Amino acid sequence: MAGIGRLSGLRRLGRDVHEARGVPKWILYSGLGIVAFFVILAIFSAQIAPYGFDQIAANGSPFPKQAPPSGAHLFGTTVQSTDVLSRVIWGSRTAIEVVVVAVALSLTVGVPLGLVSGYVGGKLDRGLVLIMDALFAFPYILLAIVIAFLLSSSIGQGIFTAAAAITVVYVPQYFRVVRNHVISVREEAYVEAARALGASRAVIIRRYVLSNVIQNVPVIATLNAADAILTLAALGFLGYGIQPTQAAEWGYDISRAVDDVGAGIWWTGLFPGLAIVLLVTGFTLIGEGLNDVLNPVIRYRRIRRPQIPPLEPEVSPLPAREREVVRR
Amino acid sequence: MSRQGSSLRTYLLTRVALAVPTVLILLTMVFLLMRVAPGNPIQAALGGHVSQKQIAIRSHRAGYDRPILEQYGDYLKGAVTGHLGTTLTDHRTIGNIIVENGSATLELAIAAFAIALAVGIPIGISAGRWRDTPVDIGGRLFGIVIYAAPVFFTGFLAQLLFGTALGWLPTSGRVGPITEFELSKPTHFYLIDSLVTGNWSAFSDVVLHLILPALTLGLLISGVIIRLVRVNMLQTMKGDYVEAARARGIRERRVVIHHAFRNALVPVVTVAGLQFATLLGGAILTEQTFNWPGIGAELVRYLNNRDYIAVQGIVTVFAIAVVVVSVLIDIINAFVDPRVRY
Amino acid sequence: MGRIRGFAVAGAAVAALAVAGCGSSGTGGGGTIIRGTTDQPVSYDPAGAYDLPSYDVVYAVYQNLLTIPAGGNKPVPEAAQSCDFTDKTTYKCTLQSGDKFSDGTSLDSKDVKFSFDRNVKIASPTGASSLLTNLKSTSAPNPQTVVFNLKAPDATFPFVLTAASFAIVPADGPNAYPADKLQPSTKAVGSGRYTLASFKPGQQTVLEKNPKYSGADPAKNDRVFIQYFNTSSALKLAVQQGDVDIAYRSLTPTDLKSLQGASGVNIVAGTGTEIRYLVFNLGLQPGSSDAQKMAVRQAVAQTIDRQAIANRVYEGTVTPLYSMVPKGLQYADEAFKTQYGASPDVAAAKKTLQQAGVKTPVPLEVWWTPSHYGPSSGDEYAEIKHELDASGLFNVTLKSTEWNQYSTAAFTNKYPEFQLGWFPDYPDADDYTASFYAKTSFLNIGYDNPTMDKLLAQEKASTDSSVRAKDFAQIQKIGAQDAPTIPIWQGKQVAAVRNGISGVQETFDPSFIFRYWLITKG
Repeated sequence: MAGIGRLSGLRRLGRDVHEARGVPKWILYSGLGIVAFFVILAIFSAQIAPYGFDQIAANGSPFPKQAPPSGAHLFGTTVQSTDVLSRVIWGSRTAIEVVVVAVALSLTVGVPLGLVSGYVGGKLDRGLVLIMDALFAFPYILLAIVIAFLLSSSIGQGIFTAAAAITVVYVPQYFRVVRNHVISVREEAYVEAARALGASRAVIIRRYVLSNVIQNVPVIATLNAADAILTLAALGFLGYGIQPTQAAEWGYDISRAVDDVGAGIWWTGLFPGLAIVLLVTGFTLIGEGLNDVLNPVIRYRRIRRPQIPPLEPEVSPLPAREREVVRR
Repeated sequence: MSRQGSSLRTYLLTRVALAVPTVLILLTMVFLLMRVAPGNPIQAALGGHVSQKQIAIRSHRAGYDRPILEQYGDYLKGAVTGHLGTTLTDHRTIGNIIVENGSATLELAIAAFAIALAVGIPIGISAGRWRDTPVDIGGRLFGIVIYAAPVFFTGFLAQLLFGTALGWLPTSGRVGPITEFELSKPTHFYLIDSLVTGNWSAFSDVVLHLILPALTLGLLISGVIIRLVRVNMLQTMKGDYVEAARARGIRERRVVIHHAFRNALVPVVTVAGLQFATLLGGAILTEQTFNWPGIGAELVRYLNNRDYIAVQGIVTVFAIAVVVVSVLIDIINAFVDPRVRY
Repeated sequence: MGRIRGFAVAGAAVAALAVAGCGSSGTGGGGTIIRGTTDQPVSYDPAGAYDLPSYDVVYAVYQNLLTIPAGGNKPVPEAAQSCDFTDKTTYKCTLQSGDKFSDGTSLDSKDVKFSFDRNVKIASPTGASSLLTNLKSTSAPNPQTVVFNLKAPDATFPFVLTAASFAIVPADGPNAYPADKLQPSTKAVGSGRYTLASFKPGQQTVLEKNPKYSGADPAKNDRVFIQYFNTSSALKLAVQQGDVDIAYRSLTPTDLKSLQGASGVNIVAGTGTEIRYLVFNLGLQPGSSDAQKMAVRQAVAQTIDRQAIANRVYEGTVTPLYSMVPKGLQYADEAFKTQYGASPDVAAAKKTLQQAGVKTPVPLEVWWTPSHYGPSSGDEYAEIKHELDASGLFNVTLKSTEWNQYSTAAFTNKYPEFQLGWFPDYPDADDYTASFYAKTSFLNIGYDNPTMDKLLAQEKASTDSSVRAKDFAQIQKIGAQDAPTIPIWQGKQVAAVRNGISGVQETFDPSFIFRYWLITKG
């Protein structure tokens, strides 16, 4: 419970993860594996993908249009004559970039707001809670569409716009969780003690409150990463996301593929869709695994067998005659 | 007793009173968001065909360049009196849109939610009951993967399988064209209307069209429900009263059904409310995929046409609906859930 | 155990419903036609209509003074008995006697005057009152005569009268239209071949044969359903499965290609008058003098491979266009073909640039918009970029914005080169030349050629077809030489129809009127 130092919360998290056993451990590690796979795809897209994301020809000969999977194009080609496999790989770069920017932005906005609002209380708290609840009540995809729409007219469409739209939707979540935890923590004995000792508000928040509250954040961050990818794909599907000339994006590819379904062309939609399912599942597994491990209500700890030292003859300080008496 | 009664009343009044500023903030947000976007319906319709000067003249005549505060005032007044206006691009009243398209979305949402509960609750309970067994892992994995699949991808697969490949089910629309014309619609809920008027062929037509969209959206939501029911099951199974029941020698099965099950379901009411917003959002994508004539599909269309009266009106109703539902949930919880303090 | 039994029962129920449902959905009897479309109408009041889907129904429910007959391209009388210019600025129409609206009210000149007066008065943002700027006044001296007084001579006026926006509405009787605002679409009443039986926005429009129609060639079918779809793939599946009889506007090239092989479906195509073109903003385009700028434009016109675009991007559903006036309209020619040849000539383009002293590769910033001009716009411009870059003479950067921003920016001097499309207001060559080449053109690209303006004024004022023919030949020639706009393709009207449907081919002509009354089944 009590712990000081900024990162003690995270250190505790690390220890809990390390101690995890059984099903939660496997869930966590398989999630991490899947996400790591996509991160590698994202970082090394240029090396792994056979072609560029909008490449329509190679060595002078143009790619066939809507060709089924074959040796030259493992996942087939699209109506724009681009290679599906390459677009799926480049798409992971887009997805990871957007997730990183969105989660980073949401954290930098949501967590401090939650901390300050929860600790300081009063009118500021009430006002922020009202605004955040209003944002929370909005169906998230509607909000994301409207924000993406707006931003696209001022700063153009692209990674940042999509990430910003997602951030606006998720800041209330971080705010709410952090604030609630802060409210329960600020009445704890050690915080009162620190106050009595004359520590300033900033120090208390930083040293005592933040370190405790922060252990909730990774779970929400992973679950929000999962939702961020779904929101990005939804925006792309509706046409408010990233344009095909800027980067590959899985949701947009599916929106073009819907037209192909009627013609029996299945490869243009199946592979981007599977990529979304896999990556979102990966993040969710991490979140679920973390939750299993951290949530005191449902976790189990590894049971450490108590170490009972073996019986061994003692060298007693007492003289021989008294030793006889003691042993009886 | 009377003291408890009056504090319940105070709680309810406070809760309803708090809803008002929430709604006000939402409305203001909607208004600002739409006004900040460039362009107006006339630009959308006549741009590229008529000179900019002509467009400016018409825009002025339609009142799009009135001062912002004046437009804001009109908007708030309209929201309060329920006269949200007439759309700019196709001259429909917002009320008409809500009744006709809103009923389509609501019908889809209710059917989807019913499927979500029917699938999610049994799986969630089984997963919680037999923790960390293949049943639990399978159930959780199912819930996770089904939520990870975007509704338009599942819809795309469903259309591929049932529409193109097998041809069993219709993949678009709410009902066939002739049924649409001939069915009398007192309630605008086609399932009810066709039953009430005894029109059996219409009823089957409606059900066939409803299956794929409701299944697609419902399975998605069931993923969330599985997770929530499972966690609640785990918490209640650990509870003291369950231990006490076991200690008294009651059979495990009865323990599960009588004690754990019922208490695990109490939060489902809250879940229903929380998922309402998700359902409305998911409806937008489902309607696009299945050509369902609901309010989400109309919203996307009006947004593209910059018909801000329409978008404002629809989003206003969405927002108010979400707030009303959450207040109702809180009120129901206040009566039902003993943990809520007031 | 109980659960499994429950599933079996549910499964059997669904199967039973499927069997029962087979009879109800799908096409109706021989006299009912079902058309599917992705275009949604704006208004069924002529004063509020200026878009194709609204026009479709207005042409069916109302009558105009003049109309374009099927397969023709010149106006002939419809509600009128005869119409003609009495002098340069006066156009007189004599009405048929005995015409009635579908509610029994008689149709006479006061209804016509009322229709035009209210169109101008309401000046609906979604209507076509801008086409009447040349109309000074309308008068109805006696119940059978209407006189239009124009401000300036205008040979296109008869064509303007054929537009659905100027259909005749009832001025009195139980269904009199309001003089100062639009009639609700659900209450449309006219004197045409059909009555509006039902309109559910976003879902369907239902037309029924009007028994009181007194004109020539009444409808050949009894009922028409117009079903709205929000995606072309849903429309394509519907026509493939027989849920609609006709799928028209808009199917993508992929849909059409797939339907070509499908059983039970035929593809019907006819000449269309929808065009796409590339516009240069003369102030922003590359080139340090007028001569250099013209050289750049001419070089682009020389390099674009229209046939490749038509085949590769549009699967043959469009034809290459060699003049701003599409084929099928009177006075249309192929000036760009005469000037630049039918296929790309990179060597000639290179020479043109060299002679003007333009350094290659020329940087071109080309803008396009994702959905307003069809979902293949992106593919089309990717192909154009490919062609221009491959010649070695140009270096193209493609940019896109969504329609609202695009339509403001393009005409306020923000885009150096951009994509545009055009739909006819009326099927006359004037609509395809004056709109682009006049000094006051909405394009606002800085194109100012006094010879062109003089020719345009001349053709507009003259009703003598030989004078107009000469003028238009000159206009198109100058247009090809100056090339402020480069025509790319002309769309065909393409529909997918089920076997047994006839009449669709007959109605495909430059007027863009979809004549439901010609269509039969079986």
